[in-house]
Amino acid sequence: MNALRLSFNPAKTLTRVLASSFALFLFSAGVSAQDVVNRWGPTPSASSYGDDFDDLFWLITALVSVSFALVVILLVVPLIRDRARPGKKASYDHGTSLHDKRFTACVSIIVFVVLDAWVLVIAMEDLQTGFWNYPNPDNAATYKVEVLGQQWAWNFRATGLDGEFGTPDDILTTNTLTVPKDRPISMNFTSKDVIHSFFLPDMRTKRDVNPGSVNIAWFEPVIAGDFDILCAELCGFAHYQMYGKLHVLEQDVFDTWEKEASLMAQAAYDKNDTEAHWAWEWQE
Amino acid sequence: MSGDHIHAEPTSFWKKHVFSVDHKVIAKQFMWFGLLWLLIGGLMAMMIRWQLANPGMPVPLLGNLLFSRTDGVIDPATYNMLFTMHGTIMIFLGLTPILIGAFGNWCIPLMIGARDMIFPLLNMLSFWTVVLGGLVGLYSMFVPLGATEAGWTGYPTLSTTVGTQGSGETLWALAVFLIGLSSIMGGINYITTIIRLRAPGMGWMDMPLTIWGMLFTAVLNVLFLPVIGSAMLLLIMDRVFGTTFFVPASIMSGASGGDPILYQHLFWIFGHPEVYILILPAWGLVSDLLSFFARKPAFGYKVTVGAMFAVTLLSAVVYGHHMFTTGLSAMLGESFMLLTMIISVPGEILFFNWLHTIWRGSLRLTSAMLFSMGVIFVFGLGGLTGLYLATISTDIFLHDTYFVVGHFHLTMAASSLFGAFAAIYFFFPKMFGRMMSERLGKIHFWTTIIPLTVVFCTMFISGYGGMPRRYYDHTSASYLAPLQHLNVITTTAAFILGAAQLIFAWNFVRSRWWGAKAPDNPWEVGTLDWTTPTPVPHYNFKEIPVVHTGPHEFSHPKLGDRDWISQTDKLPA
Amino acid sequence: MKRLTLLLAGAALSLGMTLPASDPLTVSEGDEHGHDSSASAPEGPHDRPPLDVVLDIHTDAWLRAPSEDWFEAQAELDPDRFSYVDDLLDIDGDTEGGYQDKLGEYELRYDAEEDEIAYWQYISADRLTQGRRDYVQFCSSCHGFDGDGYGRSGQHLRPPPRNFTKPFYKFTKVPGHLLPSDESLILLVERGLNGTPMLPWALSRDQLNDIIQYLKSLSPEGVGWRDVYSEVGHIVESDGDPWTGREAEAIQAGQDVYHGTAKCYSCHPGYVTPEKLAEINGLPAGSMPRENFTYPIAKITENYEVQGVPMLLLPPDFTWQDVRAGTTPLELFETIGAGIGGTAMPQWKGSLSDKDIWAMAYYVRSLIETYKGHPEKRAEFMSSLRTGR
Repeated sequence: MNALRLSFNPAKTLTRVLASSFALFLFSAGVSAQDVVNRWGPTPSASSYGDDFDDLFWLITALVSVSFALVVILLVVPLIRDRARPGKKASYDHGTSLHDKRFTACVSIIVFVVLDAWVLVIAMEDLQTGFWNYPNPDNAATYKVEVLGQQWAWNFRATGLDGEFGTPDDILTTNTLTVPKDRPISMNFTSKDVIHSFFLPDMRTKRDVNPGSVNIAWFEPVIAGDFDILCAELCGFAHYQMYGKLHVLEQDVFDTWEKEASLMAQAAYDKNDTEAHWAWEWQE
Repeated sequence: MSGDHIHAEPTSFWKKHVFSVDHKVIAKQFMWFGLLWLLIGGLMAMMIRWQLANPGMPVPLLGNLLFSRTDGVIDPATYNMLFTMHGTIMIFLGLTPILIGAFGNWCIPLMIGARDMIFPLLNMLSFWTVVLGGLVGLYSMFVPLGATEAGWTGYPTLSTTVGTQGSGETLWALAVFLIGLSSIMGGINYITTIIRLRAPGMGWMDMPLTIWGMLFTAVLNVLFLPVIGSAMLLLIMDRVFGTTFFVPASIMSGASGGDPILYQHLFWIFGHPEVYILILPAWGLVSDLLSFFARKPAFGYKVTVGAMFAVTLLSAVVYGHHMFTTGLSAMLGESFMLLTMIISVPGEILFFNWLHTIWRGSLRLTSAMLFSMGVIFVFGLGGLTGLYLATISTDIFLHDTYFVVGHFHLTMAASSLFGAFAAIYFFFPKMFGRMMSERLGKIHFWTTIIPLTVVFCTMFISGYGGMPRRYYDHTSASYLAPLQHLNVITTTAAFILGAAQLIFAWNFVRSRWWGAKAPDNPWEVGTLDWTTPTPVPHYNFKEIPVVHTGPHEFSHPKLGDRDWISQTDKLPA
Repeated sequence: MKRLTLLLAGAALSLGMTLPASDPLTVSEGDEHGHDSSASAPEGPHDRPPLDVVLDIHTDAWLRAPSEDWFEAQAELDPDRFSYVDDLLDIDGDTEGGYQDKLGEYELRYDAEEDEIAYWQYISADRLTQGRRDYVQFCSSCHGFDGDGYGRSGQHLRPPPRNFTKPFYKFTKVPGHLLPSDESLILLVERGLNGTPMLPWALSRDQLNDIIQYLKSLSPEGVGWRDVYSEVGHIVESDGDPWTGREAEAIQAGQDVYHGTAKCYSCHPGYVTPEKLAEINGLPAGSMPRENFTYPIAKITENYEVQGVPMLLLPPDFTWQDVRAGTTPLELFETIGAGIGGTAMPQWKGSLSDKDIWAMAYYVRSLIETYKGHPEKRAEFMSSLRTGR
């Protein structure tokens, strides 16, 4: 304690500490920002219903911006105009007159209709035609994938050529999912351990992956290419490293891939190793 | 009523300053306690931000002290502990004690003209329970394997032994349980005091809006803290006694087990009202302060009360919007979407009334007033962005991204923090008998609101770019690496924001001991608390005051040059 | 610590502590709820983790250290710490020389029972405790609380997570019959294994070091690092890349070695036409070295098993599967040179010249770069091999 007996000037010390740490920070921030190509929003939508999200996002942004601009104007005008000055007296108004009540009611109705109902109606329509419009699993065009999440990886099981889960030609992959373009991809999710969330930012879709129950989701890729799969629910300390790749292939390329993958799967299939044969009955 | 049995003022140090049953002492205890935890939680936020802008770089100054085993670098597990404890501390040990503990205790008896809370002993117990909860939470950071890493939401199965092995998580749950217990005790006390101990003449509609805010908060506390308490007990049983409330069996085994989603329902039935538990006191305070410093009556007092009541009701039935991606059925999703959006109506009414209150007023731009107007600004920003998250089709993408982080920090953290700052600047003269520096207060305001807006608006952009929250390092995923520059902006602004709080800390400490002596009513307002002498004497009121006017009778035409009147005085006929 | 808990609160104590091991309340999902036959995966014994995970280790460990060569090298680097002592050990009157560690971490010891002299490394209980705690936090979800490779998240995984009670390691780049050195284990954990949930762990040097010491200590008595006869090896070394600047030549040479001397195609796929294959091997044209030679052949390996079921391991098709331990020529040189411990992939360093191994490394890298991730191109190439006959 004796060591602290010095002429301590809090303000000066604080300034020094802040300045030194800030210099260090700016230096390291500059280093870490290097070699990074900047981006200010998501990559373009690559799924059939992704554009709906983008459209609605910008509609809400427009509505919210106007509303917030109004708030700021109503905040700034009194801030400048109505400051207390000698001799100035505020108006005496409890806001209880009928006129005020009507005004309040009108604004409320406008807010509900413009901010809420408008967005609500569009959102419902988008959901009914998109996210909640699950593809028919019996349709041959529907490509089905079982997704088994774990700390910290994605395990995928596709049916292979026979269209059945739990058979030797099931295509099993870790962290890479290969799907055909322009076909609805229907997915079943569950987890071995903790809750994960299957997040395809390019497809504008996300679904929690819960242990003990099966969750479903679908999307239809409309652009071929490689996309990222992220985990969007805290699943432990390596949460940030739990990512995979989604390969969307044109149908003909996909067919070749699927055939080869199925054969490769059969080569690695061991009927005695029952634990490796995870699969569950398809759920819709 | 409380005047019936007045005890002599305690003289021993312990009775007077530590185990005191005086609501004023307890309020100050809550205040110091909360400020201390805000400091700890704030430092954690700084470390989180450091890591995000400079992944894997040693933390300057504190790093080698705190993370010696990793040479000052925050490792992924420690990072998870930091954001988990940051959330828990800020919500349960920082903001709740200051807003509800300190100002609930300070304002309720003084503003309604009572000599103390109706259950003073319960009041003291409430404080010491939260201290115990805080100590358990603190201790949880020093057990083997460290504090919990399951996030402040503590979702199973990550929060069961499946995901976290150390006793940190168990102690965390215990701490939350204890803090909840404290809030329930406080809530019961507040409700009963407000109902039973109002001064003669003070009808429901003569109460300052602060008291209404506290009342609704207390009701929510009493109704919903038991839910989180039970969830925590179930979690503790799962962890310690091997029950499986939240631990499912593998879907492949065909066996039956618990349900982790059950916890999410329990948590958010509490969790959503918790947002309003934090924001309602701030709303109440701000509604009063805007009127006080605009020298105008609160616009639409009864409508404001009604709107706060509506929010209180609605808060209980919208929680499902936290769970849109968990697999809720379409019908439930639609219902929760609609209900959530309806909240915007009472919310808008509050804004309407606040903005109307300051319109054509005579604004005294004190620090307290600036922070009150700041609440309108940050809550406007936070509340409106809630629309993106209430709408399922946009929430699917934005859920669990930084968009959500920005949104809830603005609504429940920044707004309630601004409310707390406004309250501190406002009540400081009465609490500590000295004035805070207005000059430093104004510097504090501008150096807080500007970086704060930058921090959270940048988070909106990050979230819109798809950056998930609770990531240790965003540069490792190819999709997120191009967004890293946003993290650097956020962190820079966050550091300025953090540094600005030191101005407040300095102002607070300096004014507490060396500030100018405060007059009895420096702000010239009429509520009962400002009719007392400073410092407030033992048992507050020598005579229980009789209330004749409302709390916001400013600039009454018949008052002449004087633009305010005390609630104990009669308005000129 | 426990006393502090007591002081805090009685409640905190009873809830913060955990229950004994054989607690009857520990839930194990039994069969009584019915078993879905279509999904016949066995239940993991760790489906519900134990409530009493051990976090402290109370006994020190003596583990096998590298051989004398390593100490010789260390003595050159750090002569203050390691020095050669002529009469370090006295065995029945005979003296034995050896290296002495001034810090006492390494020791040359005589095992009278087995009549063996060997270097041992001392790991304190404190250090093992640190390693154990990091292990529980970072590794146990897959590798299990007992290090048997059977954690809750490790179930159903193929290849299965490593079982640390057995002395087999696949991708340490240390010759397969030797135990991996500390450096090689740390490198593996830091780098992770491509295409598996084994991630590159962003941990500090201290943490990694403690973790791998703990892993080594999981060897049962008489096995692995607790076996007096076992030997600790090092990452295979090369005198330098002989093909620098002549990559195309290296690839060509590598193709010949791959399909010729080394006969890699007997397990991995062959990547040349049957005619070419016959030509390289000097066989009569039209003869077929093996059926379906464009597919890898999986082999059962007893060294790797899960709950008694030996694993079927598939050698990678370099144009299809991930290679685990890096795709640079140096990394491939190390992997090929060392072989894959416990599997049919032998140590090539020694049986082939370094130059040939480097050539194969270049060849394998060219296969990966040209065809992996390009299904169309690959299909064209493979079918040209299959139908080219």
